[in-house]
Amino acid sequence: MKRTSFHILRVGVAITFIWIGVLIFKTPEAWGGYLQPWAAGLLPIPIAQAMIGTAILDIAIGLLLLIDSFVWLAALVGAIHIIIVLTVSGITDITVRDIAIFTVAIALMAESLPKTFTDKIMSWQKQENNGRPPEIN
Amino acid sequence: MTSFALLFTLSAVGIAEMVYLIRTRVAAEQPICPIGGGCQIVLTSKWSKIFVIPNDILGLLNYIGIAFLSAFLVIDIGPTNLWFLFLEIIIAATSLLSLFFVYLQWKIIKAWCFWCVMSACTFWLMGVIILVSAIA
Repeated sequence: MKRTSFHILRVGVAITFIWIGVLIFKTPEAWGGYLQPWAAGLLPIPIAQAMIGTAILDIAIGLLLLIDSFVWLAALVGAIHIIIVLTVSGITDITVRDIAIFTVAIALMAESLPKTFTDKIMSWQKQENNGRPPEIN
Repeated sequence: MTSFALLFTLSAVGIAEMVYLIRTRVAAEQPICPIGGGCQIVLTSKWSKIFVIPNDILGLLNYIGIAFLSAFLVIDIGPTNLWFLFLEIIIAATSLLSLFFVYLQWKIIKAWCFWCVMSACTFWLMGVIILVSAIA
């Protein structure tokens, strides 16, 4: 991915996460209404409190993405967060757009993984390829 | 709500831009200069600081302030009238200061810094948003 595209995506998704966090802070109960009854029943705390926790998480993810620090971690947590959102609220007319945010988070994570981690994956792949018998055509 | 959402979005873009400039300055690296090519000249000129504080730090604080004030106004945390007044004062002051900085680049330093011009445009756009929302 080109660095310019990476930074445009990073800032765009950061703004989305922070802004959603701010909006949840405004009306946590209303946002809690998106939860499916089975998911709301699993919560050990009131919905409003759970939504405020979600808002704080959203803002934290957005801030890390915005200031370009621990992007891989923020994007990973963001992607997991979006999967949970899609699971507990279902894919509706509104949450269908979260699929785009999810894929962007995955792309940002893949692009910003620490070098030590990508080196490890490469060495595993090499080891696997070396141990494999040659292909017969 | 829409105007505050726009102000918040612009301030977030500004925060990302200022963090980039601060990081390159601290790391003693040259920032990428997509248009103009005079970023380094402008950013290392004697005009790059107000007293002893670098302009990028002042810009960052400004953008953070605008982001917080717009968020407070959206969430409806009082005193909203006072926050709105602060927002107007900050944006008016920085828009005028940006005019001065653009003049400096044009006539005094005679070099253009992409990031500085982009930041100036961001503040002017914020000014336009405030004016339009006041009229509407």
